[in-house]
Amino acid sequence: MSDDNQHQETFEDFKNSFNYGSRSDLNFKFLKNLSGEDASHFFQELLWKIGDSFNDGDFTRVVDHVNETQAKAYAGVGRFTYDDSPFTPLRAPLSQLRLGLMTSSGHFVAGDDPKPFGVENMSQQEAETRIDDFLKVEPQLSVIPMDTSIEKLRVRHGGYDVRASMADPNVNFPISRLAELQAEGRIGELASDAYSFVGAASQLRLLNHTGPEWVRMFQEKKIDALLLVPV
Amino acid sequence: MEAGGIPTVVIGVHAFRDRLAAMRLPRTVITPHPMGRTLGAPKDDETQKQVILAALDLLETAQKPGKIIDLPGRYRL
Repeated sequence: MSDDNQHQETFEDFKNSFNYGSRSDLNFKFLKNLSGEDASHFFQELLWKIGDSFNDGDFTRVVDHVNETQAKAYAGVGRFTYDDSPFTPLRAPLSQLRLGLMTSSGHFVAGDDPKPFGVENMSQQEAETRIDDFLKVEPQLSVIPMDTSIEKLRVRHGGYDVRASMADPNVNFPISRLAELQAEGRIGELASDAYSFVGAASQLRLLNHTGPEWVRMFQEKKIDALLLVPV
Repeated sequence: MEAGGIPTVVIGVHAFRDRLAAMRLPRTVITPHPMGRTLGAPKDDETQKQVILAALDLLETAQKPGKIIDLPGRYRL
């Protein structure tokens, strides 16, 4: 019989605990994808680089190390592979067209909360805890007027660390940058609304049901081309 | 989207390059940035703009599906 009180946390337990476990940290949930050896190497290098950065004040090597390790940890194809895709060429230069924006970043306008599972003001932490619930249901689309001031944007997403998106929504919901490019004439017109949803959702329902509904809506809104930012 | 007659371009981070490539998307721009900061660091307006411009250029120039542009550079604060 095992005795939980005597359970010693292994290094495997430790590295996996950052992935929705006791140390949940969405910037580092990739540690679960690494072998024990690779994770151990990651930490050793991380600490060594921090030591260098103590001396010259340049932490870019630390940022690079984490970023590169994250990319390695997610390498490899996912569930969805296709041999070909439909393709529609652009019918005119963008300076003559209406561009739309859709992201899976989980942004919405203050006062227009999608209220997942009927919960009022769900916290980011609760969204993380309920990630498995989100993954079972269809995503809810938030409609965000393109002229919304970024101070009125909110973000909640149980799949990634939203702090950068809170500090500046343009990191993955670039409405300010699009407005600038439209003002400069690079884009003819912006659609009246942008769209965002929580990408951590049932991928099959998104593919077979929600997605086609959205396409019909974009057609009705006469959106000529769409910028997509998956998170 | 494309089957419905709407041209699209996807911007994704390098961590998901393999996954995105396997989907044979119509047009893809890959940035060297960490997950959740696809276009660049907060307040790095210039990098964010360059990424969008690369995506808009690809929208206009792609003649067939599957083109992937890997943007150079590193994540900078």
